[in-house]
Amino acid sequence: MIERWALISGLKGDLETYERIQKDLKKIRGDITLFVLGDMVGAERDCNSLIDRLINPHPGDLKPHCIYGWWEDQLLAERGFRGEQKADALRLNKGEGIVKALVNAVDPYYLNWLASLEFGFVELDCGLIHGSSKDIGDKITIDTPPLILLDRLTRLGVNRLFTARSSQQFHLELTDAVVNSYVKDLGGDRKQEQKVPKRGVIGIGAGAYYTLYDVGSDKTHFLNVLDQPKSNTRGFG
Amino acid sequence: MRQVWLISGPPGCGKTNWILSEIKKHGGSCGYIRLSGFSEKSLEQANSSEIDFVFLKDQIPQLIDLSKPSDHLFSDQDDSVIFIELSQFYIPNQSGLAGIDPRIISQLENLKLLPDQYLHFGRDTELPIKDTLDFTKIESLSLNLQENVWDPPSLNTFWFELVNGAYGDVYRAKALLNIPDGRSMYFNWIVSQPGSQFLQLNDISPPKGRPQRISQLVIQGRNLEFTRIKSTINLCLINDSVLEMHQASLSNQQLAATH
Amino acid sequence: MKQAVISCLHANLPAVQAVLNHIDRQGIDTITCLGDLVGYGPHPNEVVDLIKEREIPTCQGCWDEDVVDGLDACDCSYPSQLAERRGHLAHKWTTEKLTNENKDFLASLPTSIRRDKLLFVHGSPNSQHEYLLPDMDAFAALERVEMSGAETLFCGHTHLPYVRELGQGSIRITLKNTPNKQTEEKEINLPMRRIINAGSVGEPRHGGSKATYVIFDDKTNNIDIKEVSYDIDRTCKAIIEAGLPSIFAWRLNHGFEFAELAEDASHVCER
Repeated sequence: MIERWALISGLKGDLETYERIQKDLKKIRGDITLFVLGDMVGAERDCNSLIDRLINPHPGDLKPHCIYGWWEDQLLAERGFRGEQKADALRLNKGEGIVKALVNAVDPYYLNWLASLEFGFVELDCGLIHGSSKDIGDKITIDTPPLILLDRLTRLGVNRLFTARSSQQFHLELTDAVVNSYVKDLGGDRKQEQKVPKRGVIGIGAGAYYTLYDVGSDKTHFLNVLDQPKSNTRGFG
Repeated sequence: MRQVWLISGPPGCGKTNWILSEIKKHGGSCGYIRLSGFSEKSLEQANSSEIDFVFLKDQIPQLIDLSKPSDHLFSDQDDSVIFIELSQFYIPNQSGLAGIDPRIISQLENLKLLPDQYLHFGRDTELPIKDTLDFTKIESLSLNLQENVWDPPSLNTFWFELVNGAYGDVYRAKALLNIPDGRSMYFNWIVSQPGSQFLQLNDISPPKGRPQRISQLVIQGRNLEFTRIKSTINLCLINDSVLEMHQASLSNQQLAATH
Repeated sequence: MKQAVISCLHANLPAVQAVLNHIDRQGIDTITCLGDLVGYGPHPNEVVDLIKEREIPTCQGCWDEDVVDGLDACDCSYPSQLAERRGHLAHKWTTEKLTNENKDFLASLPTSIRRDKLLFVHGSPNSQHEYLLPDMDAFAALERVEMSGAETLFCGHTHLPYVRELGQGSIRITLKNTPNKQTEEKEINLPMRRIINAGSVGEPRHGGSKATYVIFDDKTNNIDIKEVSYDIDRTCKAIIEAGLPSIFAWRLNHGFEFAELAEDASHVCER
């Protein structure tokens, strides 16, 4: 059976969108693993029902594998889970009101679950992360310089990086990378040509925009649950 | 016909390793006992009998421990070989069996083990001689480290410093030391040989609580700074909460591996 | 014009004096220091005073930052429990010895100094704690220099002096897929950049026990790595007299770090 990953992020408490994605995924054949790359919480709405559903999937739901994202990180910081740090980045960018709204959007009951989530997953030779291996808030986009892309891949030691923070959907491939290095030290000098095999960076989207990834063929399908026709036959399978 | 060999020599000459290779060659039933020997003037004996036996037993699981009376299961008729290891600084003044130290003979009589062959490192050409050092003054430090567990990278640094002279002139260092994943590491170092011999014992204890098996460190040399050695060791040993954390993460990994 | 770059002085006054004399004798008067004035060694105030007196522009190193912060900014970068505990002993001793005035001076140091296309940092442009080792991934090394907007990056922290040129690089980037199935392919030439590590004055780790630093000639673009002998015994004696762990003296005498360096030096603290 074809192995596929469904990758979602940025639901920010939107249970309805999550349910639509779950419904969508049921129509797709193959062995699907569902990854939620963070930002399950946000300041816009009450997030408790979504979190509860992620922790306790309904019968028939694909079981979600969750990591924490930037918004969870801010919430956990504000709630004292990050030592002396608070939600400074959020406070600076969006103001005190949004920090309060975020805190009010998540029942303290769920904080321990959020705090238990991982920073990222490494599956096969792929890294699944909210921002990047450098920072949870790292926004990787279609225009990020290739040296930064390579660096983020190298830090994690993976060939493909799935990222969500920028909300963009894209699939970039880096090939034929080469650089010459000449080092001189007290022991003498040495020259080396370094090459990098094929690498990929995939932006998975956010909210209603999500990604389906064919593990065997390295193919991406950028989907959404906004504009789908009523009777859709997507032809996966 | 049962054979009894007495093998003696100064510290670090390779007695245990030579015995191990003979046991492997023999293939049949073997017994082993180590006699700690006698300290001479300014030449202090170290007690490393437990390290040697645990190491040999790990390599040859069927090896019989002759220091325990219950393990005396040999009869005179079988073709078993018994090795008696003896640490002795001086070269016997007579050749063959006649050279055995009279004090040792009475110990051997008590054990009902009378050697058929006696070889001494530095005297008998059947044995390798290249590593036999002539010691004129030697001090020993023997530490019981049972239940103690080392932070592995700290152990690495400590051992490096120890054998490179940071705590005095070390001629010989031997140890069986616990690391957090349940393994016991055998260390064997002698000044005349380059590099340390590191070996992970085959026997792994379950990573739960503090390990109860034998763990010792024996150091021989000159101008050894015992207090600094001990205080550095204390900086390398892990406390209960760190050990628990290591063991919890190991059992999680094992759980994940079985799923 | 020739300029000297020094780093990682680590409170070793005899080494700092020897290196400054060596620089003076060559008639070089532009000196830049890449931090770690203190830590491990026995002369924290004397070394800070000398740098202040000579008005040497200095970046803040990880030790300078940690001493000011009141506790180690990054415990997880210690390669072993032994190194961590020794580091803490040295940290406590240094904090107690340093005058408030010198602590204020260390706190006031910038994390980087920029002169046109030259950038001076302690560890890397990302962090005072990041090691740029001579043989680290060439693309990652290039990224550090390029993303900082410099052409030549001067760093220390590893205690290994070296010059590394990264050039003739290229990469093909293909947009394989977007929501509107857009595709695109382009080849990008990577810029040529240089990393110069100044080694360590007070705690060498290049295999010898001499102090190291570099001289940069901006006319010829030439870099010279210099080794300078100094009175190690004086420093070692002072370490023991100060009551610092005597193993530091032994390690310094043998050309080892005071406490061992992490094997995986690519570590960056996430805190």
